[in-house]
Amino acid sequence: MDERGAGKPGGLFRVVFIFCLVAASVLSLVTGAVHDPPSWVIMDMRLPRLVLGLLTGAALAVSGCVLQAILRNDLATPYTLGISAGAGVTAGAVIVSGLMVPALGMVLLGTAGALLSVAVVYSLAVGSGRGDLGSSLVLAGVTMNLVGASFLLLLEYFSGASRMMEIVRWMMGDLAVVGWSKPLFLALPVVLGLIVVAARTGVMNQLSVGDDIAYSRGVSVRSEKNVLLASAALLAGSTVGTVGPVGFVGLMVPHIMRTFVGSDYRKLVPASAVGGMLLVILADTLSRVLVSPGELPVGIVMSVAGGTFFMMLLLGGRR
Amino acid sequence: MFVPALTMAGVCASYGDRVVLSGIDISLEPGRICGLVGPNGVGKSTFLKAILGLGVGTTGKVLVCGRDFRDLTRNELAKLVSYLPQNFDHRLRLTVHEMVLMGRHPYRKGWAPDSGEDLKISGECMKEIGVWHLRNRLFVELSGGEKRLVMLAAAIAQEPELLLLDEPGSSLDFKHLLEMWKLLERLSGRGIAILVSTHEITVAGRYMDLVLALAGGRVLASGPPTGVFTPETLSEVFGVRLKVWREEETGSWLVVPGDGNG
Repeated sequence: MDERGAGKPGGLFRVVFIFCLVAASVLSLVTGAVHDPPSWVIMDMRLPRLVLGLLTGAALAVSGCVLQAILRNDLATPYTLGISAGAGVTAGAVIVSGLMVPALGMVLLGTAGALLSVAVVYSLAVGSGRGDLGSSLVLAGVTMNLVGASFLLLLEYFSGASRMMEIVRWMMGDLAVVGWSKPLFLALPVVLGLIVVAARTGVMNQLSVGDDIAYSRGVSVRSEKNVLLASAALLAGSTVGTVGPVGFVGLMVPHIMRTFVGSDYRKLVPASAVGGMLLVILADTLSRVLVSPGELPVGIVMSVAGGTFFMMLLLGGRR
Repeated sequence: MFVPALTMAGVCASYGDRVVLSGIDISLEPGRICGLVGPNGVGKSTFLKAILGLGVGTTGKVLVCGRDFRDLTRNELAKLVSYLPQNFDHRLRLTVHEMVLMGRHPYRKGWAPDSGEDLKISGECMKEIGVWHLRNRLFVELSGGEKRLVMLAAAIAQEPELLLLDEPGSSLDFKHLLEMWKLLERLSGRGIAILVSTHEITVAGRYMDLVLALAGGRVLASGPPTGVFTPETLSEVFGVRLKVWREEETGSWLVVPGDGNG
């Protein structure tokens, strides 16, 4: 009997999966430029960095799940809604202005920019008056991404070399932190978003079949979609604002997890959360190992890994 | 005396200012099959959506199992009425069993796992509809006919009193079409009222207890099939001259276009 995607991950799968995450976390803590680090390096640099990575992975992967359910498209990601563009333009503007903004202020502004761009995309999609909210959202998101990218280029064109470098570096994504302010800041919106989404995984299943069927089964389609969209925007927006646009997590993780647990979002969402954590932690550890004692931005490692992954997927001849 | 599964009186259905249907009166008792016939674009789908309030403005009296549908919460309505539209996502990588289990949504919280009762009822529905042997197959890999049966099983798993079907037989071949309608007949035997829009008068006409013929935004004729499936009525409904006669052996109506646009 064909049991593919039968949605029975089983106890063993969960245990192995959680074990991988714990192992990767430990590996991340013991890896770095300093081989026998003093305890403050662990407590104030590596541990907050680990927590930041865990939050980032879970937030981006779950946010991707939500967008894929709402837009009924397995290729949708949080960035489809212009989240990185909004955060990028805001961060770029702050950098170019030369204002000395503290790290946490930068995080707040980036998050605000990301959420603002989602709000604009959403208003555009609703205001277009087209019946199909999904395709309007994608269209408006693509527009936002293009406008945002050209605006960012404009900012870079008019800025000096050092500031331009700073913008470029910001767009690459970076998990490096000193102290706990960033991970603690990020924990609040991410935990909130994850709870809201987790309570709606059954609804996401219904939405993925079709709006009319979901409606007839008692789902308040419009309001549930709005709540889910807002949660996805909060998850991805706060993450991008904090660590910069780390790509591919929201796309790649749900995609891989589908092959393990199937497409039932009640299983896919928790699996993706754990998978996202694992992927980001591994990529971050790799980014510190590859060019040790220096380090690469995690965004670059993720993009290379993601690009390779999708090339393999394409050539693997999957249906 | 049965409480009718569906009563509509003086109902108008509109999209914004555009009135699509008006003056709808119908009373459908449990265990009856009502066919909804009419030309393309006349509002058969809108008729079905009006009962759910699905994107359609509905005025007039709509009673579902004797209760005004405006007094029911969305979840309460979902426990009484299930609806199978023409369009649903065909590419889901869910198993057949998972698809059928999703019909249980009104009976559980948004994140809850499937209960023992959900599993039992979904299993019975799959056996009833004849898709039990497909339960571990992926939905996306099924044929068009099999997908419709699975969606029907999910609709039944919702345990409705009233089943709304929007052209469930479209694109099915004779064998599957016949099986579909025999299945509907069996379901109606369990006391479910079925309102179904269809073009398949020839195959399906004999399974209908009641026919509603829509034309020009209103109900042009209604009643038992013998009264509605006449050359005069059907020609007027579809705006083309039709020859209609009854085949004695099976009791089917044969409908054949005449010449010209009479």
